[in-house]
Amino acid sequence: MNCERTQEQLVDYLSSQLTDTEQAALTAHLATCAECREELQTTQRLWQIMGAVPTPEPSPSLRPEFYAMLATFKKEVKNAPDYSLKGLWQRWLSLQIPLPVLRLAYSLCLIGVGLLGGYWLNNKGQEKAADQQQITALAAEVGEMRQVLLLSLIDNPSATERLRAVSYTKELDDPNSRVVNALLSTLNNDSNVNVRLATLEALTPLAQDDATVRLGLVHSLAKQRSPLVQSALADVMVQLQEHRSVQPLRRLLKQPNLDESVKSKIQESIQTLSTGRPAAPSTPSRHDQTISSPQPVRPGTIAV
Amino acid sequence: MLRVKAGDVDRMGLLFERYNRQLFGFLYHMLGRADTSEDLVQNVFYRMLKYRHTFTGDGEFRAWMYHLARNVLADYIKKNRHAAHHTDVDNLAEHLSGGSSADAALEQAQEVALLHQALGRLSPENREVLVLSRFQEMKYAEIARVLDTTEGAVKVRVHRAMNELKATYLRIEN
Repeated sequence: MNCERTQEQLVDYLSSQLTDTEQAALTAHLATCAECREELQTTQRLWQIMGAVPTPEPSPSLRPEFYAMLATFKKEVKNAPDYSLKGLWQRWLSLQIPLPVLRLAYSLCLIGVGLLGGYWLNNKGQEKAADQQQITALAAEVGEMRQVLLLSLIDNPSATERLRAVSYTKELDDPNSRVVNALLSTLNNDSNVNVRLATLEALTPLAQDDATVRLGLVHSLAKQRSPLVQSALADVMVQLQEHRSVQPLRRLLKQPNLDESVKSKIQESIQTLSTGRPAAPSTPSRHDQTISSPQPVRPGTIAV
Repeated sequence: MLRVKAGDVDRMGLLFERYNRQLFGFLYHMLGRADTSEDLVQNVFYRMLKYRHTFTGDGEFRAWMYHLARNVLADYIKKNRHAAHHTDVDNLAEHLSGGSSADAALEQAQEVALLHQALGRLSPENREVLVLSRFQEMKYAEIARVLDTTEGAVKVRVHRAMNELKATYLRIEN
């Protein structure tokens, strides 16, 4: 135990906050050290004077003032809004907002949610729209390629290839005029009756809303030599209700070597067209099924 | 206090009865003025009510009370920078418990007045630990809880404060 340590502990000693061993060590040191004893005396004197410093009593008015304050506070608490969650909820419940107003607010909220959702989905959809655009562009390209393919195949020497070319027409959304012209020329000039029938079949749906095709079909009547194609054309005319075809059909009737069945067929068609009564076509709709027809393809028709 | 926190504000009366003198003593020794101290006692109890939700119940109520009191005191000192520690020397003699003779009483009164003066010249931090330790008779551990520090730090501060008080007292005496 040295002097410094002892002096540090003097206050602890006076306020009796030393452990028994600490206190024993301190007293032992004090017994040997006069300087520390003196120090203790000064400190002790001060400590005693401090103990003698009186603490006045608070004035009698303090108590009533406190209770007055407490009463005011209680009133304030009662009236003051409670900002806790529970308090807010209870205030909300006690607000008694009229039901229609609540409903209106609710529906406005729902609309808001809907708008937000829509906006979100729309933004999301824009990426898809870009993809869609690319797909459309690709589809258009494929369509163009088909048209080019059709145009190149339609002059192919092989009838099978030409049939394939004609079959592409169904896959074209909007055949251009070059394709239409090529098909019409095939219808008029192709050496193979099946190719011509297929072409006619391909052209019929186009004739519904394309005037060039209609006119081409009407003109084609005069150019056909095959009874199969002639009767098929006559059917198409009836189907389209094409009155301009009556004249060419009459002229066709005057041809000397006209097939008998075709003759009656054409007469029937003329009658239907003149009276305006739609008649069911008597020939089968799929002409290529009659490929075993006894009528040979006339080589002369190629030159027309 | 937990009952007060739960909404039983009337229980605050009980706490007032138990602690108002102690609190007044602390503030009085810190400020040296009875009237201001009474106002501040009122203020501390008001804050106890207002901030009752901050009392967790973990620590002692007394430590929490002194926390609030120290805040009130700090606010007051901030607002009244020039209000130094005040000494009502005249009043002191009246409160003394009287010695064996008139002379002894007078001598003691002088000593007490000197010490009160010396105490007023200490820094608020040093005065605080001495007030808590000597006048409020708190152990170091409790002071540490009030000041949010360690027991060791309190010990050191009390020692230093005592040395400063000794020096100041002897200087005034001579």
